[in-house]
Amino acid sequence: MMLEYVWLTPLIPLLCFVIIGFFGNKMKEGGGYVAIFGALVAFVISLVASYEYVTGDLFAISLPFVQEMNWLTIGAHEINFGVYIDSLSCVMMLFASFISLMIFVYSVGYMGHEEKKRRRYYAEVSLFLTGMMGLVISSNYLEMFVFWEIMGLCSYLLIGFWSFRHNEGDTASENAASAAKKAFLVTRLGDVCFMAGLFILLNEFHSLDYAVVFAQANIAAVDPTALTIATLLIFAGAVGKSAQFPLHDWLPDAMAGPTTVSALIHAATMVKGGVYLVARSFPIFVQNPDVMILVAFVGGFTAIFAASMALNNMNIKRVLAYSTLSQLGYMFLALGAGGYLMAIGMQTGNNELIGLGALGYVAGVFHMINHAFFKALLFLGSGSVIHSAGTEDMRKMGGLGKKMKITSITMLIGSLSIAGFPLLSGFWSKDLVLETALAPAQHGLGAEWTFTALFLMGIITAFMTAFYMFRMWFMTFRGDEGEATRHAHGESPRSMTVPLIILAVFALGSGLGILFGLSNAITESLSCTLGYLHIHTHEGMTIAEDIFTNVWTYVSIVLTLLGMYIGWLMYCKKSVDPGRFNKNGESRLYKLLTKRYYFPQIYNAISWKLGYGVAKGVDYMDKEVIDGAVNGLSNAVVGAGDSLSAVQTGNLNNYAAWVYTGVIVLVAVIMAVFIANGGI
Amino acid sequence: MIQIELFLLLSAILFVVGLYGVLTTNRGIIVLMSIEIMLNAGNINMIAFAAYWGSALGQVFVIFSLAIAAAEVAVGIALLLNVYKVKKTTKIDDMTILRW
Repeated sequence: MMLEYVWLTPLIPLLCFVIIGFFGNKMKEGGGYVAIFGALVAFVISLVASYEYVTGDLFAISLPFVQEMNWLTIGAHEINFGVYIDSLSCVMMLFASFISLMIFVYSVGYMGHEEKKRRRYYAEVSLFLTGMMGLVISSNYLEMFVFWEIMGLCSYLLIGFWSFRHNEGDTASENAASAAKKAFLVTRLGDVCFMAGLFILLNEFHSLDYAVVFAQANIAAVDPTALTIATLLIFAGAVGKSAQFPLHDWLPDAMAGPTTVSALIHAATMVKGGVYLVARSFPIFVQNPDVMILVAFVGGFTAIFAASMALNNMNIKRVLAYSTLSQLGYMFLALGAGGYLMAIGMQTGNNELIGLGALGYVAGVFHMINHAFFKALLFLGSGSVIHSAGTEDMRKMGGLGKKMKITSITMLIGSLSIAGFPLLSGFWSKDLVLETALAPAQHGLGAEWTFTALFLMGIITAFMTAFYMFRMWFMTFRGDEGEATRHAHGESPRSMTVPLIILAVFALGSGLGILFGLSNAITESLSCTLGYLHIHTHEGMTIAEDIFTNVWTYVSIVLTLLGMYIGWLMYCKKSVDPGRFNKNGESRLYKLLTKRYYFPQIYNAISWKLGYGVAKGVDYMDKEVIDGAVNGLSNAVVGAGDSLSAVQTGNLNNYAAWVYTGVIVLVAVIMAVFIANGGI
Repeated sequence: MIQIELFLLLSAILFVVGLYGVLTTNRGIIVLMSIEIMLNAGNINMIAFAAYWGSALGQVFVIFSLAIAAAEVAVGIALLLNVYKVKKTTKIDDMTILRW
């Protein structure tokens, strides 16, 4: 029943956007309750529709639910508009709308003092939710791209939320404005690549419908080289949106927006769009193993690279931002490694490899779900801390645990979860990711050095994650009272703590879903398009058995505990001075990390040298060539008119002379023709 | 019977005289008169051919032509009179205000 109305999920937040945009100022809380209502309705519809799909006939025979209507016909290319629901869309819809709902409720407390600007805030976050919901239920790439761009726009607007008047003065406003621009322009680079990829797909398939593009017969019919280029370009789009290396640098800057917006971008929407794009495009990505190994390496490198920058950052939100980058890298690592195994399995007809590939896919999607919960929790918790302490600098915090019991406990749960403490949600998905990287070696399928490298990247990141998360937690909530702690207001209002508690429950337990058929449900999404492969992957208790019988799991647990212990020694017990390792912030490595590997400077250099040069070239082209052609043509016409107007003397004699000259010429011509034809 | 070539010669001479007048003079009245001479050169041609072919059609056309010429002169003179009222001259060199 509800499945036919699933298109309402983006439409209702869109209506909220319009209503709040026009009437927000006349409403209570600047329209906040309308936004909450919209998210709630979207969540309920998603929940009912997902339930119907999973219990329905289509799911049982591995088919997606598709509803389409014709949107455009361009020559032979048909573009449709519709919904495509499979288990991947279902989980995306569920966690996006649920976490958005939590964030909107939290915003009532967090944004309460923003007065008139709340209208803008609630309108834009509603539109953001529209973008995400539309993205995950789209039935074709073009429709997806439209919602993808809506999210890009909203991220720009919301990151720059304080660009007009910041509480902390003009510099902060300028930072917000430039962070918004950076986010928009850097992701734009990915979007352009994505669009180019879509052009190639449209050219090859004559359609952008998932049902057409993912159909085995169609894939077999197209040129593999073109398909490889298209997948690489689509992946570049995902890299931009999900802030992977080398397009990662906008995400830390995006912390200039309100913390709730960061939570929205990092947990529920935006950056999850890139991961979703790769997961959704899995059937065309697995056609070429090299593309998949690239995905895995970009992910693995970003994971370790971003985690290193989180090690010494003093800004509570930036630590979380880097950890998001790092965790997104984990997701790409899992998807890429799994995709590589599946691609090899498809080429050699090895069913075991295909099953392991599907396990990687499950790990990536599963980590995305878990990450959504604990990252939303951590961001909202840090928002609560900032709300109370009035600063983002962790050096000024410390000892907040006594004043903010709920926040500190919920954030502890979030930190344990992201660090991969056994049995919390992050543990299950993180170890599933590592298991994917280990799979070839452990199943006697040839331990390739690539997978060893991926596994090392993953496990080192796991250690660093545990360390920096607990560094953050101890610096904020334990130890001596900082100056900001003394002025802190104490615990945040209930509208902020209740979402924290709810999210903490999920951060504790969402990983257990893997024991109860979640992996099977996610695999069904692959079976919808790659059904002919007869994918069989481990599920439920078998996965748990795999994880706990694997010696490397215990290595990763030990490393996690070690990271936490070092964090405790350095920042709580203070028996180890972190200054010893970085020469009190003077060592070259420390400075390199503080400067973010000079990436902002590299971006600037590239945009000034290359971007500005290209812009100047384009400007020259525009002014001289295009305008030149237009102006030249008009000048030629005007000049010709000027010179011909000299004939118009106004003198009757001249006119008469011209008339008779004409007559004489005519007569001469006629006579010449007659003579040439041999007389009359 | 007078040869037709002589009529045509007379007509051509008259036409050239009229043309010379139109092209060289700057006096409006003379221009109108010269146009009349050219018109009548044409009329002579028509009558001559009518006589040559033994057909009345050419003569009928000449009657029409004369009537229209009279009307045209009336209009021309009226225009010149009005110009004279405004500019106190009928010289066509001075009537150049409508050019670019």
